[in-house]
Amino acid sequence: MSGKKLERLFQGNGVSSGIVLGQALKLDSHNRVILKIHLDDARLVEEEVRRVERAIRASKEQLEALKIRLEEKVGREHSFVLDVHLLMLEDKGLRAEILANIRNHRANAEWAVRQATERILDAIESLKDEYIRDRRSDIENVVERILFNLSGDRPFSHKPLPQNLIIVSHDFNPSTFAVIDLQKVRGLALESGGRTSHTAIIARSLRLPAVMEIRDFISSISAGDTLLLNGDDGQLIVNPTQERLEKVRNRLEEFRSMAEPVASQTVVPNVTRDGTPVFLLANTELPDEVKAAKRCGAEGIGLFRSEFLYFGRPEGSPTMEEQLKIYQMLSREMNPHPVAVRTLDTGSDSVLAGLELSGQANPSMGLRGIRLSLMARKAFCTQVEAILRASAAGKMEIVFPMVSTVEEIREAKALVEDVRCRIPESSGGVAGSVPIGAMIEVPATVLTLEVLAKEVDFLCVGTNDLIQYMLAVDRGNPQVAHLFQPLHPSILLCLRRIAEVAGRTEKPVRVCGEISSNPFYAVLLLGMGFTQLSMNPLSIPTIRKIVQEVSLEESRTIASRAMVLATAKEVGEYLINAVSQLVKINLAPYVKEITAPSGRANRSYLS
Amino acid sequence: MIRQAVLVENRLGLHARAAAKLVRLASRFSSEVYLSREGAHQKIDSKSILGILMLGASQGTRIVVSIDGQDEVEAGEAIRRLFEEKFGEES
Repeated sequence: MSGKKLERLFQGNGVSSGIVLGQALKLDSHNRVILKIHLDDARLVEEEVRRVERAIRASKEQLEALKIRLEEKVGREHSFVLDVHLLMLEDKGLRAEILANIRNHRANAEWAVRQATERILDAIESLKDEYIRDRRSDIENVVERILFNLSGDRPFSHKPLPQNLIIVSHDFNPSTFAVIDLQKVRGLALESGGRTSHTAIIARSLRLPAVMEIRDFISSISAGDTLLLNGDDGQLIVNPTQERLEKVRNRLEEFRSMAEPVASQTVVPNVTRDGTPVFLLANTELPDEVKAAKRCGAEGIGLFRSEFLYFGRPEGSPTMEEQLKIYQMLSREMNPHPVAVRTLDTGSDSVLAGLELSGQANPSMGLRGIRLSLMARKAFCTQVEAILRASAAGKMEIVFPMVSTVEEIREAKALVEDVRCRIPESSGGVAGSVPIGAMIEVPATVLTLEVLAKEVDFLCVGTNDLIQYMLAVDRGNPQVAHLFQPLHPSILLCLRRIAEVAGRTEKPVRVCGEISSNPFYAVLLLGMGFTQLSMNPLSIPTIRKIVQEVSLEESRTIASRAMVLATAKEVGEYLINAVSQLVKINLAPYVKEITAPSGRANRSYLS
Repeated sequence: MIRQAVLVENRLGLHARAAAKLVRLASRFSSEVYLSREGAHQKIDSKSILGILMLGASQGTRIVVSIDGQDEVEAGEAIRRLFEEKFGEES
């Protein structure tokens, strides 16, 4: 049925690198999955037709009953809107289009409904009349009801879900990662978002290629279309031609082998060529990622970003028991290695239900991290209690985010002590020591590190935020994104100072930002004196190889030479050259991560 | 077969409620009733509310109504009156 479809190219912002080929999986505004499923059997096609008709009939009956109730409540004046909805359900044109979609494409009812709706919504979207344009929501309402009735009818189960899906949506709620089968998803193509969006962070940590900020593309894609997604240069190609696929075949293969889960590695201690031990830990977010962490040989969870537990909870925060279960699982799984839970760090890109956080003009510099925790003490103490209790099952650590003063640490530590005293012995107790650390991500803490280090047991460097605050660049803002330079000489000076002070004060220090997972940067960090790197689990095997191939001596030389260069570009070029000579691994895929973003995406915003 | 031009006079144009009234009225007749913007080719079935909404006819739009069937005269008359009475919205 589907004729030769034209290739189309869309440019967006590549926020998670990698290149993949897959089939479009569209999510609707409710992040509901609408798959196109091809029906081989003609009888199944007619069964889908009957399903849609049943769903439309059921929808009408429900609406008629609702209309009577609404009339009794508010009078006919307002119940007319349901009349409009009923007329839409009775619309012969809509029905005919849905049935034609099922029969002509031999597709499932859900897809046929969505497809017909999108055509209508696009037509209405193009109207000049704002009032009529606003009727889109009425149509969405009606379609929602049909889809709801379809799902109650019998979830489509003709075939298992296809493999190699690329999600196409306006936005993607981070909580959807929890319900979607990640074995089958290969990439994300979104209209909204940005490099620092929460979804982008998770995508990177899952090594899931993602392109965001693609404008006006969703209506050009039908579920089931073949997509080539390139997270390196931010391109999405719909229905790629054979010639194009030939060209990228090697890169597809290269990425696939890179993303392939590494066979379970027996953890030989990581040491550099000249015998310096280096600890490689995992940054995780979804409880499930602990499996990947173990598989890749992580020596602990260096940073568990706990925000995910708080997402999509209309009632506020998760209960102590819910959190305890997850932390216990993590500590048990990772034992004897440590699990560092970063207390809730909601910021600019996340919304915490139940707490009034809206209306902050500049949320990344507003009430977030430990600042918020010290105001919303109940939620903070609940989380601390769960972490402390979980320490009976393994090694737990607590990290406070967004610290800017010593007082904050003192106050938060006092709260932790209070909670510890209140936990009864009978509950299984608390380990003798639960180390407390601070995220070093506000430049003020770098400059006052000597005094701050005295207050904590260990330090965690949050490089993503540190770079953003140090350079005063919001990476999510495309107009300045090119100024987000992880290799800016000021960042190198900060990092070297942190390593030095940590050494002098004998506090363990761990680098937890994304930069740890970049081979070039990892060598730089080793040379500065960092021996604990925490990164997304899937990067650990590569970084392990890097660590084993370099000597501390060599990395020190590289770091000291890099420190005297004047610009991020010079540092980048020097590292690419110097590190490539040292190691045998193919470093090409990592070059982009340390070169400043090209102006391509930015220019389109300025023109 | 009758063809007649009508003017959308009501302030909100052929929005949801007006469209609903037109669908209900047109559905009372056995004749086929099609609408198009004056000068445009695309015709839509006036018994389809989505079709009418997609027409996007705001105040001041001129619309050509074509009616074909046994009761076309009565249908034409009723539809003309509905437009003239501004769908009963602004008395």
